[in-house]
Amino acid sequence: MFERSEQTLRELDKIIVVCVFILVAAGLMAIYSVTTAINTPAVLKDNFAKQVIWFTISIMIASAVIMTPMKFFYKYAYWFYAVALILLILVLFWGAGRGSHRWFVLGLLRLQPSEIAKVATILAVAKFASHQTTDLRHYKDLIIVFAIALVPALLIVKEPDLGTAMVFFALAVPMLFWAGLSPFIIFVLSAPIITLISAFNLVTFTIAILLIIGILLWSRRRLWVVLTVFLINITVGILTPKVWEGMHDYQRQRILTFVGLQEDPKGSGYQVNQAKVAIGSGGFWGKGWQHGTQTKLRFLPEQHTDFIFTVIGEEFGFLGVTLIMVVFLTLLLRALMIAAAVKSKFTALVVVGSVTVISVHVIINMGMCVGIMPVTGLPLPFLSYGGSALWTNTILVSLILNAGVRRFEYL
Amino acid sequence: MELTESKKRLIFSAALCLIFFVLLLRFAYLQLYKSKEFFLASEENRVRTIDIEAPRGLIFDRYGTILVDNSPAYALYAVPAELNKSDSAYHILAEALQVTPQEIKERLRRNSQSNFQAIKIERQIDFSTLSLLHERRLELPGVEFRAESRRCYPRGVKAPHLFGYLSEITEGELNLFHDLDYEPGDLIGKKGLERQYESILRGLKGKRYVQADALGRIVGDLTEADNPQLHYVTPVPGRNLLVSIDASLQYYLEHEFTGRRGGAVVLNCKNGEVIAMVSEPNYDIELFSRPVTAAIWNQLVNDPNKPLYDRMLQSLYPPGSTFKLVLVVAGLETGLIDPQERVFCPGYYRLGNRSFGCWKPGGHGAVNLLQAIEQSCDVYFYRMGLKVGLKNWADYARRFGFGKITGIDLIGESPGLVPDEEYFDQRYGKNKWSKGLILNVAIGQGDLLVTPLQMAYLAMTIANEGNTFKPHLKRGVQDPITGTEEYDQPDSVHIPGVSPETYALVKRGMYLVVHGDRATGRAAAVPGISAAGKTGTAQNPHGEAHAWFIGFAPFEDPQIAWCVFVENGGGGGAVAAPIARGIISLLLRENKLIPSSQRLVVAQATP
Repeated sequence: MFERSEQTLRELDKIIVVCVFILVAAGLMAIYSVTTAINTPAVLKDNFAKQVIWFTISIMIASAVIMTPMKFFYKYAYWFYAVALILLILVLFWGAGRGSHRWFVLGLLRLQPSEIAKVATILAVAKFASHQTTDLRHYKDLIIVFAIALVPALLIVKEPDLGTAMVFFALAVPMLFWAGLSPFIIFVLSAPIITLISAFNLVTFTIAILLIIGILLWSRRRLWVVLTVFLINITVGILTPKVWEGMHDYQRQRILTFVGLQEDPKGSGYQVNQAKVAIGSGGFWGKGWQHGTQTKLRFLPEQHTDFIFTVIGEEFGFLGVTLIMVVFLTLLLRALMIAAAVKSKFTALVVVGSVTVISVHVIINMGMCVGIMPVTGLPLPFLSYGGSALWTNTILVSLILNAGVRRFEYL
Repeated sequence: MELTESKKRLIFSAALCLIFFVLLLRFAYLQLYKSKEFFLASEENRVRTIDIEAPRGLIFDRYGTILVDNSPAYALYAVPAELNKSDSAYHILAEALQVTPQEIKERLRRNSQSNFQAIKIERQIDFSTLSLLHERRLELPGVEFRAESRRCYPRGVKAPHLFGYLSEITEGELNLFHDLDYEPGDLIGKKGLERQYESILRGLKGKRYVQADALGRIVGDLTEADNPQLHYVTPVPGRNLLVSIDASLQYYLEHEFTGRRGGAVVLNCKNGEVIAMVSEPNYDIELFSRPVTAAIWNQLVNDPNKPLYDRMLQSLYPPGSTFKLVLVVAGLETGLIDPQERVFCPGYYRLGNRSFGCWKPGGHGAVNLLQAIEQSCDVYFYRMGLKVGLKNWADYARRFGFGKITGIDLIGESPGLVPDEEYFDQRYGKNKWSKGLILNVAIGQGDLLVTPLQMAYLAMTIANEGNTFKPHLKRGVQDPITGTEEYDQPDSVHIPGVSPETYALVKRGMYLVVHGDRATGRAAAVPGISAAGKTGTAQNPHGEAHAWFIGFAPFEDPQIAWCVFVENGGGGGAVAAPIARGIISLLLRENKLIPSSQRLVVAQATP
């Protein structure tokens, strides 16, 4: 099933490859800095070496994925998806994790079904949305395509791993938009969420409602559609604070904790604070590699995984941060170019889905490090320590590269 | 209206660029705008300041002998996180320090900043405790011994009332001295010179910086290369205090008074310096160089002999016959006493229907002023007292500093009491008191109360004929590094309204007390030196009379003045005067007093 490799290599998007290597190299430098800190726990000491091994495996995975024809992924998309769902169900019974059921332990390896599900869901949504028979203007098809994304999301919520589940919520919308779903539908679906969030403050609520009215008028839809959407939003906006106030304190607490908004001072609050100190203290030039005091004196727990970007911020400063962000952006924009160029709709949607998953991880992780997003435990692609996340992102980028190589092919 | 692929790409790209730009703005805010603030916070995270103890100033006597020194001692520290690993650790420590395990836990909690940082449990543990704990160190994880210094008294001079002691600063003192950089746990002078000259003796702690990790564990030193803001602060040692004490005389007197109650004050007539000041019983000052246990403290406080009291300046006594000198001055200055007038002493004096006895039941016969001083005839002074009157008497008593503190550089001095008419009116009711009270105070009895220091001051003032000095211990200050010494000017005091003739007469009388044919104080006489003095035997309701002897020597050119006092000791001439002889002999033997014979040679040599 593999094709000739010389041609593949020639057609490979070198810029994306270089970007990935830069990101992994930066990640390795940061991991090295963290794991050679004073009083590093013994379990973390080999993480640099391990990450090098994981990356070596990644290159093999990438080669395999790039050389596999897109047809193969199209053909088996639903099978992958089914396997992913089964694994997600099984992990709820036999899974391990810190107070949760997130992964299987297979000897030295941890298999995280949610990682597999990310790829599988992208493929499944892409396949369904690119069917000749699928018409996204029909509510039936629309519901099916959303269900494809939401079923794994709900299973992951059950683990529980809310951060990862959010990726699935976020994944479907851009793909469907690319697939031709009318922006108005996207607006109708997302407006109540915005209303709900803004409903707690009269000013924000007014702004949100005015925006909704504006968009509704501008859309020039039929009157009953406009009125229905408007009334739904008004109802949500009025009911939300009432329901909220009617709840018991512990219920509110649970909801806040669930959506990750409740900052407990000794847990995530401490982390975010120390993360900001690490990043802020780096200044423009940074403290220099291996010279970050926050890093070297272990003021941040989980710094080699979720908070890896604080090492970049502290040791390489605003300069390093900007560089990494430019590299990420280059990678993603380059991928979007491929998405726009490919002939196959399925391939384009796979690329868009991959771009979405990587973007969401990058944005939420960085937002978390600078304290503008809740601490959700999403790793930073290619930089955070960890085999399975690295492999998932490798697969996603490899699919993008694959699409680039075969951009002129129809399935 | 399907969007083209390139339009979609544009929308996606624009959205990503916008979000990344917002994120980058946030990074810019943290790393460019707020960077200084966060840098400080990161430094605060890792930098720990470690105090470097500064040695406290030493105390030297007038001949450069060290009276109060520092010696190495050990403080007990523990790292709570380590200590918690052993179940028996708290019990072993508690047993060794004689407190409860809860108390140890409490001390750790009170001072704790981090479970991984060593916290002081006890300062200045004694050697036996140290070796005991050291033997069991395997059962005491996280226990450390750190060197510190403690006060020691190498010369054997124990003078606890003079030196005072150090103790951990209280919250009240912290508030009081809030601008002087004291910190909880610091030692501060609590009594005596340690307290009086705290600002001289106290050194300023130095600072060094170390790096601590997130758990508070110290992981290494920090230098200015790591952070230019961190300036190593060299500790500044306290300055040495130069006091006027003569260690050998002080030592001699401490031994002389061992087992007795009382003491002595010896002043330098030339400037008011305190050459020796002893109060017995005292307490072992070494006890106070470590934390004092409640048991020891209570024992000292409840001791009926009141060892914590400095009898020389805190306790009040009737001065007895020594105070007749004040009456003499008052009488001569007011012209109410004629020194030539002879008074017949039959051994008693009758006032109304009361009889006031003379100390010599057989009577002194006819005596004039000088004879009356020499023999301390009570009857003479009863009559003179009535002649001079309470008002004049009290006036001159006050001029000589009675009824107020001398201003010596020690804390806790009592002013004493000079009774006058108002006082008696207040105490007994107007006109309800008899003139017998005047007779009492005339011979230094009754309501009159003085401190031995005031009496020494009186002796010095008379010796100096009114141009006297404030008693003091501090002569100067020495810089411990350069050795530069700075000396104080003595505070001179002039006693107004007393003529040289009066002083001459009083001094003549005092000379006779030691050297006269019928001298009461001849036990103080030392061959080769002329001394002057006045004995006193003060009746008191607490038992045996108090023995007093005040005086000065040499008579011709007074160098020292003294007050010797033995509480319930008996006769001043028999008990107190021999101690004065000891003082003179010692100073003479050590060539610190110039004998009268040599003085004459010197006097002849100068034109």
